[in-house]
Amino acid sequence: MTKPKIASDWMCGCAGCHMSLLDMDERILQLVELADLRATPITDLKEPDAGGVDVGVLEGGINNTASEEVAHRMRDRSKILVALGDCAVFGGVPALRNFCGVEAALRRAYVEAESNEEGSQIPNDPELAAMTQTRAVHEVVPVDYNVPGCPPDPDVIFYVLSELAQGRKPELKDGLLHWH
Amino acid sequence: MVQITINKQQIEVPEGTTVLRAAEMAGIHIPRLCDHKELTPYGGCRLCIVEVQGIRAPMASCTLPVSNGMVVETETEALKKSRQFVLSMLFSERNHFCPFCQVSGGDCELQNAAYREEMTHWPIQPGWNDFPVDTSHPYFVLDNNRCILCRRCVRACAEMAGNFTLSVAERGAKSMIVADTDVPLGESSCIKCGSCVQVCPTGALIDRTSAYQSHDKNLQEIKSVCVSCSVGCSIKIMVRDNRIVRIEGDWDGVVNKGVMCEYGRYATTNENRIRLTTPLMKKNGKLEPVSWDEALSAVQEKMTKESVAALASTRLSAETLAAFKDLFEGKLHSKLVTSIEEGVPTAAVAKFAETHEGFEGKLDALKTADTVLCVGANVNRSHMVAGFLFKRNLNAGVNLINIDPDETSLDEVARISLKPKAGSDHALILALQAIIAKEELERKSLNIKDADARIKKAVTETGISEADITKAARMLAHAISPMIVFGKGVTAQRDEKLIEALYQLAVQVGAVDGERSNLLSLKGEANSQAAALMGLDRPFNLNGEKVTYLAVGDDWVSKKLIEKISKAQYVVVQASYESKLTEQADVVLPVTIWAEQEGHYINLDGRIHKAKPALAAPEHARDNLDVLTELAKRMKLTLDADWKKSIRERKSSVALD
Repeated sequence: MTKPKIASDWMCGCAGCHMSLLDMDERILQLVELADLRATPITDLKEPDAGGVDVGVLEGGINNTASEEVAHRMRDRSKILVALGDCAVFGGVPALRNFCGVEAALRRAYVEAESNEEGSQIPNDPELAAMTQTRAVHEVVPVDYNVPGCPPDPDVIFYVLSELAQGRKPELKDGLLHWH
Repeated sequence: MVQITINKQQIEVPEGTTVLRAAEMAGIHIPRLCDHKELTPYGGCRLCIVEVQGIRAPMASCTLPVSNGMVVETETEALKKSRQFVLSMLFSERNHFCPFCQVSGGDCELQNAAYREEMTHWPIQPGWNDFPVDTSHPYFVLDNNRCILCRRCVRACAEMAGNFTLSVAERGAKSMIVADTDVPLGESSCIKCGSCVQVCPTGALIDRTSAYQSHDKNLQEIKSVCVSCSVGCSIKIMVRDNRIVRIEGDWDGVVNKGVMCEYGRYATTNENRIRLTTPLMKKNGKLEPVSWDEALSAVQEKMTKESVAALASTRLSAETLAAFKDLFEGKLHSKLVTSIEEGVPTAAVAKFAETHEGFEGKLDALKTADTVLCVGANVNRSHMVAGFLFKRNLNAGVNLINIDPDETSLDEVARISLKPKAGSDHALILALQAIIAKEELERKSLNIKDADARIKKAVTETGISEADITKAARMLAHAISPMIVFGKGVTAQRDEKLIEALYQLAVQVGAVDGERSNLLSLKGEANSQAAALMGLDRPFNLNGEKVTYLAVGDDWVSKKLIEKISKAQYVVVQASYESKLTEQADVVLPVTIWAEQEGHYINLDGRIHKAKPALAAPEHARDNLDVLTELAKRMKLTLDADWKKSIRERKSSVALD
């Protein structure tokens, strides 16, 4: 029997959840024993196999048309989709801009901020992805497992991935359930 | 008693118990957010829902009284789903993103509730509505974005502090906690007791000094007693790395049941006086740091040869006060040994107690009184918690009669305010007695013969009309459970007759009878009563004494005292903080503050509390008691006073426990 394939990608996050994934230290070797780690932001392969993977992991919320594409691609190619970390699960820190709106957030960052040069403008290159409201992954595509945490503990990530790799359903509760 | 079955467990509870409390008695925890054991059940959050056999819909257990034979289930799959839904709705209302909230990670009851129901996400995302943040208050911040509208703060403000500042504005999802008529908290009628912050289940009310300092699990909790005034509130000192992070009211406290006042809660964490960390001696007109040995030798030498006047703070422990009295009065035979209060809040009462031992009652009676007469007692400024005990009942029909020559904030809530001219209270009290007698409203007759003359005299002296005095007299006489509270305005006159008049009035209206005594004086600082019982209550008038020894500890020093000291010859100050007093001293001995020392305190109604040390003292600060013991030792004297005996030398105005 071949090992189950795991792929991951990130969207509107800070890479902290992937850092936490690496923080599982030597247990990553156990994980490699159990599963075939495919495309991830920290491996050479950048897009999940067109032929599909067993477990797809997404870090970060969805805040523009590019991350929408990433989310849909991962959903299309994964049997099981995991939303990893508070941004993917709730929207997280980037979702704070929803309280003031995209326009006001951009204006503050690119025009009003004290560190900007005089005459600074909001970037408007047509090649840039269009910004949207920041959303949790489950608002855009169906999610099978939400793994909250900012970031989730390495222990939690190892538990979830190793359980899924062995065909079991991870249950987040008690000591394993933390939102921050 | 009522029989009820909860989760197959049969228990018996008193009638009127709610299902939630009954479950607690059986050791079953039902999750809740709006419920709080010291507040009236509200039934707002619906998290405490339970299934009751025979009732189709889940019921909120916090407002559901038990009935005989009731069968309740608290943990079913359906309930779990319902609770998850309740929480989903709460999370969808406002900004409940955890990572940047100060209570996240164990101290948030909302987050903990979600963990308990195993929620891994919010099924309904927030609506992104922006609510105001009020940062105008000196001690805390109100962030409406974190609020779940449980109204614990509103209830605490009303039911605990009796201040009725907080309420809810708008409706539905737009509902918002506001102060008064939606004014900034810092400009509102808030009395700054912090009770609202202590009960807030989320990060909506944040304490400024302790925010982001530590999770509660990393704090050491020391249960002790507040030494801010004679009420003697039980407190929890929350400490991290030898620093007080926060002070909370102890829910188990017999006197205060968790409530506190501004001074007790915030004075220490907002302390800005400069701490003394080394002994100082005046050399060539300037205070210079010296060793403890040098400082104590100098003091000892002076005190062996010369006459001494001594004064101690009533914030010091009974042990320290007893040793202080023993050293200066017992061993050195000083003529002038007293306390910093000079008996102002206690001397007249103590004098009256010589013939009427234990004539005062208990603070608890304020909770059930239906009419309260305050005489010269501004409980909004001093002894605030004593005020809370009856102010919370004012909206429920309790009457407050306030007698005070000065305008005070108590007048705003008093049903009747009488403003006698200064020094005319005695005439006023006698007139109240006269009217009650004349109108035949006495519970016990005082045999008043000169009623009309008294009334006439009072009208002339007080400047209050007979009609107004009559209204107050009737209100007091008609009370079923009257209570008379008097404070410094009365005791400062040092007139035993005035105390007697109040006592008689209390007897006349039935506030004092064979069974109860609803008459109480507020006294002064934490150990006011202990100092009074030790006789440390005479006026501090220097009369040519060569040495003045001032054991002020961490107390605040009045201008009057500083003025008196300016004429003193050789001044020794035993203090924790720099002040105008230490500037004038010849020797300064640095000592511990209240939170660094141990000892006993007698509160205003005779309860004896033990204060426990929460912090280690700075290197060169010594314990107040140790300094006195060491001085005595150097003078070849042995201090052998036992504080338990010292406080029983005089008859007490309150029964000691």
